[in-house]
Amino acid sequence: MKMNNKIKWMFLLGAVFMVTLPVHALAGKVYKLGLSLAITGPTSDAGNPYSKGVEDYFNFVNDTKMLGDDKIECMIRDDQYNNDITKRNFEDFVSQGIVFYLNYSTGSTLALKKDFEEEKIPVLPASFHAGNLTDSNYIFLPIASYSAQAIGLAEYIVKTHQGGTPKVALFIHPSAFGRGPVEDLQKAVKAGLKMEIVEVVEHGKDLDNSAMLKRLLSKGVQYVISQTVQSPVATMLKDAASLGLTAKTFGEVGKLTFLGCHYTGGNDLVALAGPAAENFYWTTSYIVTNEPSAGATAQLDLAKKYNRDEKAANSHNYANGMMVAQVATEVIKRAKAKGKEINKANLYEELLAMNGDKAFSPGTTVGPVTFSKTDHAGVDSLQLYVVKDGLFRSTGTPFIPVYTDKIK
Amino acid sequence: MSYFFQLVVSGIVVGSIYALSALGFVLIYKSSRVLNIAHGQIIAAGAFITYALTVMVGIPIYLAFLMSMVITFFLAMSVERIFLRRLIGEPIISVIMVTIGLMSILDGLIYLTPFGTENFSFPAFLPVTPISLFGVSISWTQMVGVIVTFAMIGGFSWFFKKSTLGISMRAVSDDQLASMSIGISVPRVFGLAWAMAGLSAAAAGGIIGNITGINFDTLHAFGIIVFPVVILGGLDSILGAVVAGIIMGLIQQFASGYLDGSWGLNGTGEVMPYIILLVILLFKPHGLFGIHEIERV
Repeated sequence: MKMNNKIKWMFLLGAVFMVTLPVHALAGKVYKLGLSLAITGPTSDAGNPYSKGVEDYFNFVNDTKMLGDDKIECMIRDDQYNNDITKRNFEDFVSQGIVFYLNYSTGSTLALKKDFEEEKIPVLPASFHAGNLTDSNYIFLPIASYSAQAIGLAEYIVKTHQGGTPKVALFIHPSAFGRGPVEDLQKAVKAGLKMEIVEVVEHGKDLDNSAMLKRLLSKGVQYVISQTVQSPVATMLKDAASLGLTAKTFGEVGKLTFLGCHYTGGNDLVALAGPAAENFYWTTSYIVTNEPSAGATAQLDLAKKYNRDEKAANSHNYANGMMVAQVATEVIKRAKAKGKEINKANLYEELLAMNGDKAFSPGTTVGPVTFSKTDHAGVDSLQLYVVKDGLFRSTGTPFIPVYTDKIK
Repeated sequence: MSYFFQLVVSGIVVGSIYALSALGFVLIYKSSRVLNIAHGQIIAAGAFITYALTVMVGIPIYLAFLMSMVITFFLAMSVERIFLRRLIGEPIISVIMVTIGLMSILDGLIYLTPFGTENFSFPAFLPVTPISLFGVSISWTQMVGVIVTFAMIGGFSWFFKKSTLGISMRAVSDDQLASMSIGISVPRVFGLAWAMAGLSAAAAGGIIGNITGINFDTLHAFGIIVFPVVILGGLDSILGAVVAGIIMGLIQQFASGYLDGSWGLNGTGEVMPYIILLVILLFKPHGLFGIHEIERV
């Protein structure tokens, strides 16, 4: 009787093993990624749609079996724009075996630079600060740096301005993020970009910018390039409009023409500034959804598939998040196609090989993503947009700033 | 010269909005000696309620503005009733810690709504062309802000000086035990102080939201930005809040207008109010209009 029971149990265990074996063999691998960002707290107006873009794209990858039976598991955590929390999140992700990391703020990217080097993990942040790349091998900027964006705007001013040397003021966020492009822009001027930087204004939580705007005008400033977030720009634009100082045409004499880098613009600026946003010039490497393109359709379809509201669907920060997820997926796909193991080293190698005929076109950007050992800025092209009737519209074709290379 | 007067006008505009924002602190401190750290969150809530009533419900903005003040009145009163009523008589530091906790809770609740992470702006309801006189401009939004501020401050000043309830509140502020002994309900006074602070916060939120756009970070920051105004004015003085607010506004505008951009200086508008605050407090440690309590032993 005892013997019979033993045999029965052995048979049962064997049967269970036989049944589950093929399931284990077929259930592909899971690649772990991490993203720490401000879903709440300061700058969460950008971080929130960004996280949705990342989440939706990875869900799309898994749902459509883009990687066959393999899946991507991206852990997304809120750090409330707090570097200490970002560090804690990153360390936890590493302990869970992530193979690719998506970071967010300039401050935390700079603060964790050494950790990224130690872990030898490829990192795509939402910060486009050129300083992220100094003494770093593993950080890759998704698009052209803030410096390149500001230089691109300055080059447009110099090209379009009529009269003598254009006088420019910089309106920046009082942080590493805001100060990022200042030095490079000054270098570009020294290298021959014919414009004068009259003043660099670090803004606060101002309720009225009349003093600043009138002071700039009295110094002959005609152009204000902003490198900050939307809210202070919106207040400045409203003040300029109420003082009648906003240029109706680019470079109108005796008025101010306002321009800004990636995080100053987008639909949120129009939402905050209303009609005062008219004629604001903005540059980024991302497409906008109010202009038909394959990328815009893909972005809107993705947002619709995962029930996002219209605001998130049309946000350039949703495109931003979607794009970094596209790049991460692409390197995994390429490594898989070559039969390589999906680990940090191989994904890093695939990123470095993303150039020439292996450049990647995500569709959500105005140019291809190219990385190499010497080029860690993804999309080099920028598009200039201007607000007309409450919408950002392309003006001209995508361009690559010339002075970015000249100041290297 | 018009530049100078522009700075004066801008300083008064900004200062009066600071005064209105500071009023909530003063009202609560005046009656209960408590600093409400969550005041910025109530300012933000006021702006969000006005926006929701106008855009989502479709109520005209003037009416929505008034309704949001009424709603925030009862909201703040409920907050006091639920979280703070039981702490009457407890050490002040415990009550302040509760307001810090309250700040976190309100933050969390607001982040659960679209207002936490999205940007909005009130529909245009005032003329776009600014009021200009002798080269000095002021937008209609700012003008209405100043009028509302002074109307509210005038109303509160009258209330505290002339009404029975206002006098009761001042009595509670002076001596809770003595007030109770003559039949004043201290809990009721505290509730009312919070409610009135909520009402003024909603007004401030509506005005600031109209100027800067509706962004949670910007709005709740005003709870902290107006701290120097409250301290300079003397914590429990409505007149102090007004004077200090305008002083701060003027200092900010003059510093920004005359110092920034010269001698390599930048951002002086942010720093100068604190420098002036420190200097004034050296000579008047209780603020410009604060009560210097003398205790005889």
